Amino acid sequence: MAGKTPSLFWRLTTAISLGLLLGAGILAYAAYNYAHTAADDAYDRLLLGAASQIGETIRVEDQAITTDIPVSAFETLSVSRQERVYYRVVGPDGASLTGYDDLQVPHNLLRAGSSPKVWDGTFKGYPVRIAAVSHYVSDPAATGWATILVAQTRDARNALARELTLRAMALVGIMSVIALVGVVLATRYALRPLHRIEQALGSRDPNDLTPLDIRAPVEIEGLTQSINHFMERLSGRMDSLQSMIADAAHQIRTPITALTAQVELLKRETVPAKRKHHLTRVVARTAQIGRLVSQLLSHAMVSHRAQSITASPIDLVELVHQAVADAIPAAMDRDISVEMNVGPAPVFIEGDPISLREAIRNIIENAVHHGAKTKITIAIEARESHVVLVIGDDGPGIPIQQWPDVTRRFFRASTEGVGSGLGLAITADVAKNHGAQLEFAHGENDMFLVCMIFPRTNGASS
Amino acid sequence: MRHALLAFVFVLLSVPAVAGIRYEFKATGAETSRLTIEAVGDIEAIEPLIRDFQVLEPGLSITYVDNLTNDLFEMLQAACAKDMIVADLVFSSAVDHMVKLANDGCAQPYASPETVRAPPFANWHDEVFGFSFEPAVIVYNRNLVPPADVPRSRDQMVDLLRNKAAAYDKRVGTYDIARSGIGYLFGFFDAQQSSAFGRMMEGFGRAHAGLYCCTGELLRDIESGKILIGYNLLGSYAYGRFKAGAPIGIVLPRDYTLVLSRAAFVPAHAANPQAGKKFLDYLLSLRGQKMAAEKSFFFAYGQAAPEGVDAAEPDLQSGIYRPIPLGPALLAVTDRHKKARLLKEWNQSFQAQ
Repeated sequence: MAGKTPSLFWRLTTAISLGLLLGAGILAYAAYNYAHTAADDAYDRLLLGAASQIGETIRVEDQAITTDIPVSAFETLSVSRQERVYYRVVGPDGASLTGYDDLQVPHNLLRAGSSPKVWDGTFKGYPVRIAAVSHYVSDPAATGWATILVAQTRDARNALARELTLRAMALVGIMSVIALVGVVLATRYALRPLHRIEQALGSRDPNDLTPLDIRAPVEIEGLTQSINHFMERLSGRMDSLQSMIADAAHQIRTPITALTAQVELLKRETVPAKRKHHLTRVVARTAQIGRLVSQLLSHAMVSHRAQSITASPIDLVELVHQAVADAIPAAMDRDISVEMNVGPAPVFIEGDPISLREAIRNIIENAVHHGAKTKITIAIEARESHVVLVIGDDGPGIPIQQWPDVTRRFFRASTEGVGSGLGLAITADVAKNHGAQLEFAHGENDMFLVCMIFPRTNGASS
Repeated sequence: MRHALLAFVFVLLSVPAVAGIRYEFKATGAETSRLTIEAVGDIEAIEPLIRDFQVLEPGLSITYVDNLTNDLFEMLQAACAKDMIVADLVFSSAVDHMVKLANDGCAQPYASPETVRAPPFANWHDEVFGFSFEPAVIVYNRNLVPPADVPRSRDQMVDLLRNKAAAYDKRVGTYDIARSGIGYLFGFFDAQQSSAFGRMMEGFGRAHAGLYCCTGELLRDIESGKILIGYNLLGSYAYGRFKAGAPIGIVLPRDYTLVLSRAAFVPAHAANPQAGKKFLDYLLSLRGQKMAAEKSFFFAYGQAAPEGVDAAEPDLQSGIYRPIPLGPALLAVTDRHKKARLLKEWNQSFQAQ
């Protein structure tokens, strides 16, 4: 047996867990980006607000630009009380007016009138976010754009981004757990019918081969049907096997009883002539039992092969030759001629060569043992839609009223003779297994004919 | 050795000449380490704290240097720019200076079970800590000012100077905010808090008020009777004189009382930062706070004003106490335009009459 495959439950749970994990990862990344942007947005607004507040205080007094830095500007920025704050006001001439003189202004902003800008930078070794706002000064003493820079360290916004991300992740985590629990429960629920089938089969009596009576969802209805179909076939096999064994036991018991009786007689008989007579009977009876057993085994083989061997193309002509060769020693005892009326070309049919050979041999042997006085004729006719094998003999044949019965097992036309009553039954079974018909007829010159009519499969004639 | 010597010479050349007064406190036991404190704080107030701390740390020799606020600021700024070591702990009453230095990265962060005891307004960024509670008070000469005249709010002060202009002409005093860092700080927040301050300054100008550089001189002149009433003195120093028997009375203004929390930090570059942090812990600890309330600053956060002080309400929640919060808002205080503008307005008020 190959390595154990993982259970359906684990397959589903693992696959869905991996999906959830991937989804959670994507969401985490998205949440981090979103939180980062959101935190920057929120704090950038404060930063720009502070810069604008400072910008609004710019005025010209005594021929010089001056500012009145409002405390509130820094109070808004120190809401979190964590941040370092830097600022600088640059006049239209590019000279520092107040604040941190070394806080750099990007060149493109000095060009005047740009819209407010926010960017990341470093100041005094701290990563900072810097906002720049331009403010127009219109006074004869100094005209042009003043620039207000306000910078703030990133601690608070990083903390906010982290918190937002963690909260989002907590939600994602909770959702994932809920989904996973849901998956586990749903999988259990979905697999319950399979479990029921397992229990139903497990708790069953070994001899109980009746169909399962379980309501199953559409997806596994096929499975229950297959199981039921299988059990039906198994049940059929068991039945036929049992009846065959019963028949065989019955059929063998009778000749053996007779044989025992004859051996008893032989033991007690002292008259040599009578002893010889009894001995002949014993030998005949033994031969009959041997044939019976052989036929029984042959029949068992044929029924077994019918269910286990797949059909293959075979040449019927070749097969008939082999069957005749099998039956020839029996024909040699008497002066019987075998007349083959077959063409040189092979005639193909689909089937099991061993079963077919057995069937054809039985027909020929039947003809030899029960009918043929002088000759046996064998003909194969390949027609449009079927192939007909006709075996005829010039014996008395089977009376027409017995035709329906001779293919039954253990039917004997007469109590005398050496037949086992199985030969034609085997042939009939083989014919049935090959979709062929077994028919009897009286032909020209009082010939008794046995015909096997095989359906012709596509491409068999080529 | 030679490098150390060179470095020393370099320090002498590059750091502005410091007129601070050095005090040495030898270790009470065998010296195991040294602590250098550059600060602004009268030795009378600081010595009890240092002595008490040495009881806990007998192996520690402590050098305490008392500076003027602006000198200390310039020295620390220069040292910070060059990554030089000047002290293991610094503190100053000019809290705006301390916050600006910390904002510029001159302080190292420190958190301990003691630092979390500091109230929120007295902790910025776990770097700067306010360890004292020093109200800005009105001080008067008990012998020369009749009880009915004692002003208990800024409005009463304005009224007094208007109604008894002759009696108080040249007999009131306050800080010269151009010269005194603490005077400027109080003036800045007074200007933020109320319009009464402007009227009061005009009143002071009309009364030809004396302008002083320091609390000590102002107190001396009040004690001697040269002036009768002083405005915006540090309550801690005033109470020290009061306790020592000086004939002065102390009033916490009832409209609002500004409160200064002396700000301390451990410099980013320090020779013995552990010792600086230990002393900081001590200053914020229950023991240090108790010692400060008894012997140094006399007022303490969350405590009623000490006996003999004319105060309306000991309750911090009443809103009368307005602590100056440590934080970037103080950057506006140090802004050069802002300072120039405030000085101009102040001068105009004084010279208007």
